[in-house]
Amino acid sequence: MLSKLSVEELIEQIKLNKISAEEVTNHFVEKTALVDPKIKSCISTVFVKGGDGILKGIPFMVKDNMEVTGTKTTCASKILENYVSPYTAMAVQKLLDAGGVVIAKTNMDEFAMGASTEYSNFFTTKNPWDLQRVPGGSSGGSASAVASGMVPFALGSDTGGSIRQPASFCGIVGYKPTYGLVSRYGLVAFASSLDQIGPLTKNVRDAALIGNIIMGKDQKDSTTVEKQMNLLKEIEDPIEGFKLAIPKEFTKGLSDSVKNVLNDAIDNFKKMGVKVDEVSIPSLKYAVAVYYIIAPAEASSNLSRYDGIRYGLSFDGESVDDIYTKTKDEGFGREVKRRIMLGTFTLSATYYDAYFDKAQKVRAKIVHEIKQVFNSYDAIIGPTTPSVAFKIGQLSSPLEYYLQDIYTIPANLAGLPAISLPMGKVDGLPIGLQIMASRFEDEKLLRIGRNYEISRGKFPLPEVIL
Amino acid sequence: MKTIIGLEIHAQLLTETKAFCACKIDVNAKPNTNICPVCTGQPGALPVLNEKVVEFAIMAGLAVNCEIHETSSFDRKNYFYPDLPKGYQITQYFHPIATNGYLNLESGKRVRIRRIHIEEDAGKMIHSSENITESKTSLIDFNRCGVPLIEIVTEPDMNKSEEAKEFMEKLRDILRTLDVCSGNMEEGALRCDANVSVIDDDGRSSSRVEVKNINSFRYVQYAIDYEIERISKVLRDGKDVKHETRGWDFVTRTTVSLRSKEEENDYRYFPEPDLPILKVSKSQIENIKLNLPELPDQKAERYMKAYNLAKDNANIISKDKIISSYFEKLVSLKIDPKDSSNWIVNDLIALFNADSIDFNADKVPIESLKTLIEYTNSGKISRLSAKEVLGEIYKSGRNPEDIIKERNLIQVSDKNSLVPAIKKVIENNQSVVEQYKKGKTSVVGFLVGNVMKETKGKADPKVVGELVKKILDGEIV
Repeated sequence: MLSKLSVEELIEQIKLNKISAEEVTNHFVEKTALVDPKIKSCISTVFVKGGDGILKGIPFMVKDNMEVTGTKTTCASKILENYVSPYTAMAVQKLLDAGGVVIAKTNMDEFAMGASTEYSNFFTTKNPWDLQRVPGGSSGGSASAVASGMVPFALGSDTGGSIRQPASFCGIVGYKPTYGLVSRYGLVAFASSLDQIGPLTKNVRDAALIGNIIMGKDQKDSTTVEKQMNLLKEIEDPIEGFKLAIPKEFTKGLSDSVKNVLNDAIDNFKKMGVKVDEVSIPSLKYAVAVYYIIAPAEASSNLSRYDGIRYGLSFDGESVDDIYTKTKDEGFGREVKRRIMLGTFTLSATYYDAYFDKAQKVRAKIVHEIKQVFNSYDAIIGPTTPSVAFKIGQLSSPLEYYLQDIYTIPANLAGLPAISLPMGKVDGLPIGLQIMASRFEDEKLLRIGRNYEISRGKFPLPEVIL
Repeated sequence: MKTIIGLEIHAQLLTETKAFCACKIDVNAKPNTNICPVCTGQPGALPVLNEKVVEFAIMAGLAVNCEIHETSSFDRKNYFYPDLPKGYQITQYFHPIATNGYLNLESGKRVRIRRIHIEEDAGKMIHSSENITESKTSLIDFNRCGVPLIEIVTEPDMNKSEEAKEFMEKLRDILRTLDVCSGNMEEGALRCDANVSVIDDDGRSSSRVEVKNINSFRYVQYAIDYEIERISKVLRDGKDVKHETRGWDFVTRTTVSLRSKEEENDYRYFPEPDLPILKVSKSQIENIKLNLPELPDQKAERYMKAYNLAKDNANIISKDKIISSYFEKLVSLKIDPKDSSNWIVNDLIALFNADSIDFNADKVPIESLKTLIEYTNSGKISRLSAKEVLGEIYKSGRNPEDIIKERNLIQVSDKNSLVPAIKKVIENNQSVVEQYKKGKTSVVGFLVGNVMKETKGKADPKVVGELVKKILDGEIV
């Protein structure tokens, strides 16, 4: 069954002439047509073919906050419901150039603000493991599409955990590269100092394969850096003698069932000759608070441009202010408005020092403390999420949603590479292991992840009953 | 009463492309043709700093004696307006590239410069009525959006509107010499906002009032004078001067309130996450310093020393590099520097000023002026004729020799050909000759004038004068 194959396996099948590139593409287009009505991963189905390369014929989906020329890029928002991209995001372009075919733009929380896709202005995507549950978010459309076999891989974006948390909930691999490794050009900005594009895949090797293609210095994104890396080259070299740290702050208050799964993972590492120690990173307890000051502040500025003047939703009004008010009031959803207001407040002259400036300082402290850990350890591990996927409509307060990202946020604040990969099931639902490494140690990160993946054994994909 | 004036000046930089994208800068382009995803604020587009902008800002900073910072950074200034596509302007708020400079005025007074920072221009709006609130329709041209600016902020060191005007002119001359800004205020390439406050004789100080939209050098003076007068009157009436922003209206020649302090935007400045810290090396700064052109003040100094020019002439010639290079070429063609400066300042520049156009070397080729000066100095044509010829060259660009020939302007200084004409004039003016003989020698001028008429102005008046005396005195028979 092609839908279960990884990107590497599909490339191999095409290479061996067992199937043609076109047949591969068509298979997944048909599969999407069958499965998507159940899961609702896609906002729009498209067909954008690329060049000739290693990915020739391999279909993929793109989170709907990345520009692809001629396609609608809605960010799951009413304000951009009819916005058609005039250009293509660099990461997507690189995949197209490698031969990949975009077959859909995927659902997400509006402007990537959320952890379940429930904040999509259009619909909520379902978790392929249990259709009553959320797929996680904000890249929930991309994660569910990969988990349910609609595509072998998809692109997501991760500002506070938006690739890793849905990967954890859907039982797949989600990789957030080091900040600056993948161009953000064409990724609709949520919080520019935290946003990073990354792949959602079925295994760690595929994450490395896609990572290799999309990474690299981009003249159009000044925050990218030149780094020579090959994520696949030494990915299966043994990790005996490595040292991993588990911060106390990541295990405090975990349920016994999640703890058990985590202990199994730790045992696996130990069997490979890896040392696992408990450490403490005290400032991590401020990570969520810092994040919810910095991210909304940047967002309040980034989202100013949706004003109804040049593109997107626009209402006529009595005055310019009236046009702005009507457009933004009608165009933005509740959570987006909440964060714009929060960010506008913390940046205001009166409160800048007390909030934004202080948050920047605490952020620097978190970065420093994490760096100290990397002086003695190769990576930091822990659960990706405190619990498995929750039921649609289950969470009621914004704070409950915000705490979804408690373990994933630190990697964004410090610009670290991080990956989530399945480590087991709790109550029949998958939960992810998160690994974080030092900045630009993506090779080491994926090598640890791949070794764990092999030691764990194959993790099943959910069966979607049509 | 004392007036305190500080200026905030915006100068558009003459780079080929915009500050944060590769769009061309062309003021003559059709609206919305030089635009891209970056400068129209499309979702997902990112700014990339144009290195030329940094170089120009450093040049300007060095030229006005600023300290250039090896590390500076960009920030976002957030506000909503239709000509600002991103909803924020990229600027340098917390850490500007240059600080602590100064310019000296003619009087010797020093005006300190607080800071110079890099930022981007907004788009241009055209309203169907007076302003955006009264207009049914407004059009936006994004061609100007993202054009690089430097903002130059002075300390409140000026006390007279004349000083503010002089500062602006001096700054313009420097920026033009550096070739980093056209300096044209009417076209908005150089803009000036003035902060004015007044302290009355009882020591009562007014609030600071900001005057915007001053769009010419003359208006710098007018607008500030108007504002000083307005504030003084409010103080005299015993009322409070509002801390506000006012706009200069050049039609009514008054300032009108734009917004009060309470209506000011909270710009919510914060570091621009899309651009890395701006770093320039010491050697880069040194290199720019070494390659700075000679600035107007240095040039004037040199002219006074090397050529003995009068200060006024030296200043006028050195403040415009087109004029100074014209002058230097003329001198290199072996024309006396003082002569050269007199001709350029008194005659040539006057022609351009009369038409209110910029000095342009093509209108009067250097070779033509050289010829003209040589003809005059050798006495072949009179100073008056020379002025006439210069006017004609300026108008038509024709060769001076042709004009002189055509108009028959060569002076007659040959005695033999002048004597008959003089004798004729003496014969016709016997009563005047009588007066001369009685000792009234001043009548020679009258006779010379008549000879000039008789010769249709071609005679050399100096030679005629000598001959008239000699004939009357009987030295020539």
